[in-house]
Amino acid sequence: MNQNWTTETLFEALKDSDYCKAGQITIDLHHGSEQVIHIEAHDHGDLHMQMLASGGEVHVSTVLCHAEQVRDRATFNDACLRLNTLYPLSSFGLSKVDGEDVYTVFGQLSARAPLANVIEEIHTLGHNAVQAAGELHPHLH
Amino acid sequence: MAIIEKLLTMVRGTATEAGQAIVDKNALVILDQEIRDADAELVKSREALTRLMAERNLANSKLEAKNGKLAEYSDYIQQLLNKGDQALALDVAGKVAAMENDIADDKKLIAGMDTNVSKLQESVRQAQSTIDHLKRQVDTVKATASVQRAQESIAARSSGSNARLRTAMDSLDRIKEQQDLKDAQLSAARELEGQSDDSDLAKRLEAAGVKPGATAAQDVLARFQQKPSG
Repeated sequence: MNQNWTTETLFEALKDSDYCKAGQITIDLHHGSEQVIHIEAHDHGDLHMQMLASGGEVHVSTVLCHAEQVRDRATFNDACLRLNTLYPLSSFGLSKVDGEDVYTVFGQLSARAPLANVIEEIHTLGHNAVQAAGELHPHLH
Repeated sequence: MAIIEKLLTMVRGTATEAGQAIVDKNALVILDQEIRDADAELVKSREALTRLMAERNLANSKLEAKNGKLAEYSDYIQQLLNKGDQALALDVAGKVAAMENDIADDKKLIAGMDTNVSKLQESVRQAQSTIDHLKRQVDTVKATASVQRAQESIAARSSGSNARLRTAMDSLDRIKEQQDLKDAQLSAARELEGQSDDSDLAKRLEAAGVKPGATAAQDVLARFQQKPSG
């Protein structure tokens, strides 16, 4: 793959992949103000992820939890940063969705990465997010 | 100022509600400006480099011409000495001396130009790398903003009474439920297996003395009853 992925070429490639055909994920291309691939990861409790290609980068993200579910934000942030170092390929983030803070787990890779790497990223993100949910669950209300 | 400091300065004091959108929007504005600056820097460095390299090549061809002249005049000195024309040879030698000094100056000048060429090449390389990094950062900020908007639209679509954006915590619950269900199915299956097992029936058959080879209490009693007494 010498050309950069676009969200659309990535969607088509994923749709044709064994990973998708075997039913490990269901994907859906959404056309809003920009195209986004919605992923439902059946190996990981039907976890929802959003994925897109932006210039030189492929970005895939999932929502870990809503900040308002968290009992003590400082403790939770600390735990997230510590866990961050333990998970391969994924990072923890904090962003605002509809004016509300949400914790995210996301992965970034080069838009020139081969499809196998993209799939590995998705699969690892699903695994990491559910693992992190298990680790961080006691910190929620 | 580092980009992150600029961002923090801009965001400081803004309402947290809109904070994230401002971060993203300003990040893009700031990054775009940084890219334009770096691009302008790159164009300037490239122009300067081209000009300097042209000047250097010009100076070098002048030097080569001077070297040719020097060889020519050195040759004259030898010829004049061979002819015994000491006076004219001395005049020519004076010219050669001046030429040698001139050439030495030119060489110094060219060496200085070479140093500047490599400095400029380095700054062009750095400017290019800065632009690449900034563009990558723009891609990241744009991707993050797009994903956020996508998540917002999902949240908006599912905004029923209790419907919310599905999180990894929900998936964890789902996995636990699935596991619980599987466990329940498994233990139900085991129980069923225990019931359908022949062992229970076999025990009752044995107790009733029907099962071949088994002796029932009734049979034993019957044996005693049939024995002639006394």
